[in-house]
Amino acid sequence: MSATILKVAALAILNVALVLLLSPLYEGLLRKLKATLHSRMGPPVFQPFLDTLKLLGKEDLLTVQHPAYAVAPAAALASVLLLATIIPIGGAPPLAFAGDVIGVVYVASMSAVLLILTAFASGSPYAAVGGSREMMSLLSVEPVVAVTLVVGAMKAGTLSVAGIADWNAAHGPTISMTLAGVALFLAVQAQAGKLPFDIPEADQEVMGGPLVEQSGPRLALFRWTMWARQLVFSLLLVELFFPWPRTGVLAADAPLALLKALVVLVLVAVVDVVNPRLKVEQAMGYYLRVALSSLAAMAFAVVGM
Amino acid sequence: MIATATAEAVTLLTSRLGAGLLVARELEPDLLWVSVNPADVRTATATMKELGTRFLVTVGIDERPLGGGYGIVHLFAMDDAHQFVAIDCPVSAGDPRIDSITPLIPGAAWAEQEFHDMIGVEPVGHPDPRRLVLPDDWPKGVHPLRRDVAYNYRPPSVEGAAPELKSPPKGTSVVPIGPFFPVLEEPARFRLFVEGETVVGCDYRGFYNHRGIEKLGDSVLTWDRIPFLAERICGICGFIHSTCYCQAAEKAAGIVVPRRAAYIRTIMLELERIHSHLLWLGIAGHIIGFDTVLMQTWRIREPVMWLTEEISGNRKTYGMNMVGGVRRDISDAQLPRIRDVLATVEREAIAVRKAITDDSTLHARTKGVGPLSTEWAREICVVGPPARASNVPIDARLDHPYAAYDDLPPHLCLADGCDTWSRVIVRLDELADSIRLVREAIDNLPTGPVLAEFDEIPAGRIGVSAVEAPRGEAIHFVMTGGVNRPYRWRVRAPTFPNLQAIPAMIRGQSIADVPITIGSIDPCFSCTERMETVDCRDGRVRVYSLKELQALTQSASTGDGGYDL
Repeated sequence: MSATILKVAALAILNVALVLLLSPLYEGLLRKLKATLHSRMGPPVFQPFLDTLKLLGKEDLLTVQHPAYAVAPAAALASVLLLATIIPIGGAPPLAFAGDVIGVVYVASMSAVLLILTAFASGSPYAAVGGSREMMSLLSVEPVVAVTLVVGAMKAGTLSVAGIADWNAAHGPTISMTLAGVALFLAVQAQAGKLPFDIPEADQEVMGGPLVEQSGPRLALFRWTMWARQLVFSLLLVELFFPWPRTGVLAADAPLALLKALVVLVLVAVVDVVNPRLKVEQAMGYYLRVALSSLAAMAFAVVGM
Repeated sequence: MIATATAEAVTLLTSRLGAGLLVARELEPDLLWVSVNPADVRTATATMKELGTRFLVTVGIDERPLGGGYGIVHLFAMDDAHQFVAIDCPVSAGDPRIDSITPLIPGAAWAEQEFHDMIGVEPVGHPDPRRLVLPDDWPKGVHPLRRDVAYNYRPPSVEGAAPELKSPPKGTSVVPIGPFFPVLEEPARFRLFVEGETVVGCDYRGFYNHRGIEKLGDSVLTWDRIPFLAERICGICGFIHSTCYCQAAEKAAGIVVPRRAAYIRTIMLELERIHSHLLWLGIAGHIIGFDTVLMQTWRIREPVMWLTEEISGNRKTYGMNMVGGVRRDISDAQLPRIRDVLATVEREAIAVRKAITDDSTLHARTKGVGPLSTEWAREICVVGPPARASNVPIDARLDHPYAAYDDLPPHLCLADGCDTWSRVIVRLDELADSIRLVREAIDNLPTGPVLAEFDEIPAGRIGVSAVEAPRGEAIHFVMTGGVNRPYRWRVRAPTFPNLQAIPAMIRGQSIADVPITIGSIDPCFSCTERMETVDCRDGRVRVYSLKELQALTQSASTGDGGYDL
């Protein structure tokens, strides 16, 4: 019994550590890629780590004196790390007993909700505009995520995340799962806060939106949350919808999953480089169309394709 | 043609004003000077409007030392007839008031607020009598452009002075853009009144960077020094301002510029347009989050900067213009290099154009954004690409030809979308046309001297000059004085009229569209507002004291007359 607990704990720590340490590295790689496409040299790959360290060492300036406001950034990062423990990274989700796909949908939106609450609490008009934009984009992206996960659940006949991944790995590509995967991929663009959907932060319009009042360690934690979130979402995408090939050995599957997630993020970064920012109502219209198309995936799933 | 249009204007003015028309005379081949009774200024303005003329700017002149009162000179342009018309209203010094013409011409609002601040003549009936140019803590009753106010007058600063603000309409909240905002490179303050994300109105306060350049020009510097100051009015279109000043002075003094100098000015003006439009494309891209456009256009722009450095010694602020011509020639050895750079820029600009016009997201962000109807563009007297993108066919290079544009006419790049997308297209077209113009100019470069000699410039002469800057038409007005410098030098930068169109352009738009709408006029606040230096190597800022600046100026001066520090 205690050996099982130990194993679960070790796997959970591994997932958390992978996400925590690799997400800034991935961000650094993506920045380098973006710089190359810009004909720039770009910052060193390890710059996100250095930025984070520097920001963590700065004074914690609280513009609002409230315990909930004070812990919001840490809670946001914790929610993403919790998400990392209920999705598979190479092996079964370590805390699978604690959450199925419904749990994933809930935990996945926690960090965004915390950011929105922080924005509304911080009292700046830019943060308020950014917060309402974040809310609108969350409301339009979340249905896409939900529909794609439901497609997976329908195909596999289970709500368990591991069950869906196992079913897909065993059965090979199907039309409905591929369509749902593409829809989720389009949602990752917004979940990662990349152009053309970085509308809530929009430096040039609302000066960082929800983050405008955040600095020092708080800013570091919120940024880390976003880097971790883009990695976790792309891991969820590749593990649930594109899990092949699978060896069943954690030491082989985990690096492969991380590599596939990097490919997803590279595609996201390329889309980011070749697009200007949309307006929030344009983005909502876009995600409405994506959500409607993902219903097609559900239709295929119903007829068993 | 010219004579007919002028004669027609004089006839109509005479019939409308009767005895109110004091004098009408042709000061220069392209400048009609009409003195009217100040009481009849609205009738005169209505007549000018009826004649289809375009309001340019108002010049306020303190003529008390010359035995008069205050001269309020409204400048108009008859673009089709290539004429300027000045409506001069001599206002008495005892009662410095004149009827406001803003109710007739909305575009005159700032010009009138400015002479109210600077000369102290009150425009009666102005819809917005607040301060425009003067700082909030500037003492009442001190008008800096009056001759009895010293150029170095420094009022004591007052704590807690604040501008008069418009109160937001009921049910709206205020989102401030500025005084410092990430995408506005210079200070300007727009208070947006918003409902949700929709802008329902705005209030503007600017002129934070007023540097007193006009005052310096007509009280401290000399004819030959002013071009170098004029060039510093703007960091991007500096050569435009020095050319415009020199041309106004040359017209006033009757100096004929050698042909080769006219061509060299044309070449530099067009090179400036090329790098300015590339710069703008980049900034516009950046404003809507499209940094790839920023990085690529600025990379393409760089060889043009190196080229101007090879020609003039500087990337920017070339220091080439003098009254009478230019002080630096272009050697034949440089011509092939210019052709090479043009070929590279042209090839890459075509690629950028294709990338921009093919990008559907970019269409979504710019089409229908920042609308400016043709009628309102005319009412507010908008100039340059924003005017041409609203289908107003004006271009100072064609309407009031200068330098070598009589030999090298540019294409009039028009669009009728009246939105930000059309402004992009107009600038892309002009970029291509400027490349053609530079090429034709160096192919036909005449030989000969580049600087005309001239003697004393007599007092009391007047010159008005227009130059089509990348941002629109710049206007310089020079009235000569007897002490080797202008008596009055008035600068109107293109952003001055264009910025006044912003409230109409952002009304009903979403907050997301405001930065790109402001950006779409290519605003240049420092030009509009007319010293601190930054060491580029270590980024250290050095602020010179007045004494140090005086020492610098004196060491650079040649010790000739008319220097009264």
